[in-house]
Amino acid sequence: MVSDIAGTKSRASCNEFPILADNSRGIESHMSPLLLTLIFLSLALAGAAGFFYVGQARLRARITELEEEGRKKEASQAQVMHTTKLASLGQMIAGVAHEINTPLGFVKSNAEVIGDLLTEYEQAVAKCMTGVDFLLNADAATFERAKTAVARVRMELANAKGLVEARELLTDSVDGLKQMSALVVNLKGFARVDRDGMDLVDLNDCLQSALTIASHQLRDRVTVTRELGKLPKVRCMPSQINQVFLNLITNAAQAMGEEGRMVVRSRVLTDTVEVSIEDNGAGIPDNVLPKIFDPFFTTKNVGEGTGLGLSIVHKIVQGHGGTIRVKSEVGKGTTFVVELPIQHKDAKK
Amino acid sequence: MEPTAARPLRILCIDDESRILRALKALLREHEVHICSDPRQAPQMAKDFDIDVIVCDQRMPQMQGIDTLREIKNAHPRALRILLTGYADLKAVLGSVNEGEVFRYVNKPWENAEIKALVTEAGRIAREAPLISSEPISEREAEEARGTVGVLVLEEDAVTQNRLREILAPHYQVRFANTIDRALMLLEQHETGVLISETETHKQGDLTQLLKALKLHHPYISTVVITERANAQLAMELINEGQVYRMLLKPVRMGSARLSVDSAITRYWKLKRNPRAVKRFALGNAPSFVEHSVPVSEQLMARIRALPTRIVELMKFNG
Ligand SMILES: Nc1ncnc2c1ncn2[C@@H]1O[C@H](COP(=O)(O)OP(=O)(O)OP(=O)(O)O)[C@@H](O)[C@H]1O
Ligand SMILES: [Mg+2]
Repeated sequence: MVSDIAGTKSRASCNEFPILADNSRGIESHMSPLLLTLIFLSLALAGAAGFFYVGQARLRARITELEEEGRKKEASQAQVMHTTKLASLGQMIAGVAHEINTPLGFVKSNAEVIGDLLTEYEQAVAKCMTGVDFLLNADAATFERAKTAVARVRMELANAKGLVEARELLTDSVDGLKQMSALVVNLKGFARVDRDGMDLVDLNDCLQSALTIASHQLRDRVTVTRELGKLPKVRCMPSQINQVFLNLITNAAQAMGEEGRMVVRSRVLTDTVEVSIEDNGAGIPDNVLPKIFDPFFTTKNVGEGTGLGLSIVHKIVQGHGGTIRVKSEVGKGTTFVVELPIQHKDAKK
Repeated sequence: MEPTAARPLRILCIDDESRILRALKALLREHEVHICSDPRQAPQMAKDFDIDVIVCDQRMPQMQGIDTLREIKNAHPRALRILLTGYADLKAVLGSVNEGEVFRYVNKPWENAEIKALVTEAGRIAREAPLISSEPISEREAEEARGTVGVLVLEEDAVTQNRLREILAPHYQVRFANTIDRALMLLEQHETGVLISETETHKQGDLTQLLKALKLHHPYISTVVITERANAQLAMELINEGQVYRMLLKPVRMGSARLSVDSAITRYWKLKRNPRAVKRFALGNAPSFVEHSVPVSEQLMARIRALPTRIVELMKFNG
């Protein structure tokens, strides 16, 4: 959907550009003979005309420049939306893969080991049964021998720990499977694969989803405090709002060094819902602050940041008729505040 | 066969997730498995139980896997170390090779058969192969080693060559090769203890298979990889299938280059005295790495196989 809009835009700007180029060539071809005549008339006039020509040429160059700039900007915005989709997808996949890995690791291993343990136990049972058969068929002469044999295999069976161990592994595995299904449910909720588009949504759920997806970046390192108020449902595109929160949370996590605290708040105002994400990370210097929403602006190393996160956030919030504010102090931390209207009828798709 | 083989191996599994520990314990139940959910206690445990093989998770809240392995290496060097990782993180991989000297990487989720075979192989090596001493060698001996043991650089980039020449030539018998052919010729002619190599060059293509093949037949030569292509996946592969000794990122820094070459030469020198220890640095026999890992041409392989082995006892030991 998003890339469609972007596609139309860039096509439109491609059409505009050649038209402009034709016009400007037109100006040029009319201008030159006129100028020649003027030069023959008088030096002063020629000087003025020369000035005029230069002025025109400058203007023309400037127009072309502006058009070029505009075209580049549109193209780069199309690029932004596209790359962002890929970037956030990659981010999400990495997160989910990591979350699933641990439970998958032990469940997979356990399933195999339980099989082996059962085989071992079956063998012990078979041995015991052979012993019992021997006892049942025993006559007076062999009875005593059969009895000792059965007592021995019974003891072996009683001591076999296989079943206990298998049960323990099974309990862990059921646990792990639950963890993985919870993750998938969450993921489906996050991506809204089953119902994309506008919906009535509790933003606290979106926050929760985003926190789960980001949890591999937060765990062990960042303490998250939730101060979530009771919210009315908001009309929005949940998959996009999830993305907004995920990007803000990711940035906050990346702004903190070894350890940090993050506070996630939500509350209802007159006709908006306000969500804020506060971190006690590095903060943003005053000279950087005006640039953070620019596409491709990043202070992170090559490969670590695309600089697209906040430009996406901005675009989505704007598309929902909302606002985003930031306050930051170097060394203290940063707070991003997103405000979304509860009723927003013509939210852009 | 060996009297030691009869006793069960002693394994220490380290992970903050208790369900992983229970799974590993059940999986490796033919051995004596100790488990530890707090890596800070692991070095002491490794020593107390005289552990043969360590299986350690990389990502733990109290302490990272590589740091844990480094401390265990100091406290109880006899144990071979296996690192379990969920995802490839270049910094962690480089740290684990350069500082933790890991034996192998295993990706989560693991293959049961693979980890079992790996642990058994690591345990066998830990029991059979003696440790080379961690004592530094005397200055006189070090000088002799530097004079005798060659360093071979396989690299076609002139800038890096010059840089390495500047750093190494004043101290070591260093030789340079632009091509695989020339490198093999130098190996044929000169006793060489350290091979410094890129992983890929324009003209020669991929060099990793060559490094693996060399390691397979001549494990006493330490490989120091210098690379521009910083990539965790490749680094892990080079450790698992090529038992690379050190990995340095370009541009090569003087300090790390000298440290790596010095310790590689010292190791070679000690191996000469104690050739049985080379098993600790060889590729081993666990199934996953020997067969499918070395698609080098038959001709090249034959040439590598035929390279002279200057550590004489080693041939007896391997043969
Ligand atoms: N919570 C924050 N604390 C400190 N600086 C921040 C914070 N959020 C954003 N920034 C600054 O704003 C810049 C732009 O952020 P943005 O999310 O657009 O890109 P990025 O995070 O650098 O890259 P990407 O989102 O692709 O990982 C960041 O590089 C960083 O300097
Ligand atoms: Mg970001």
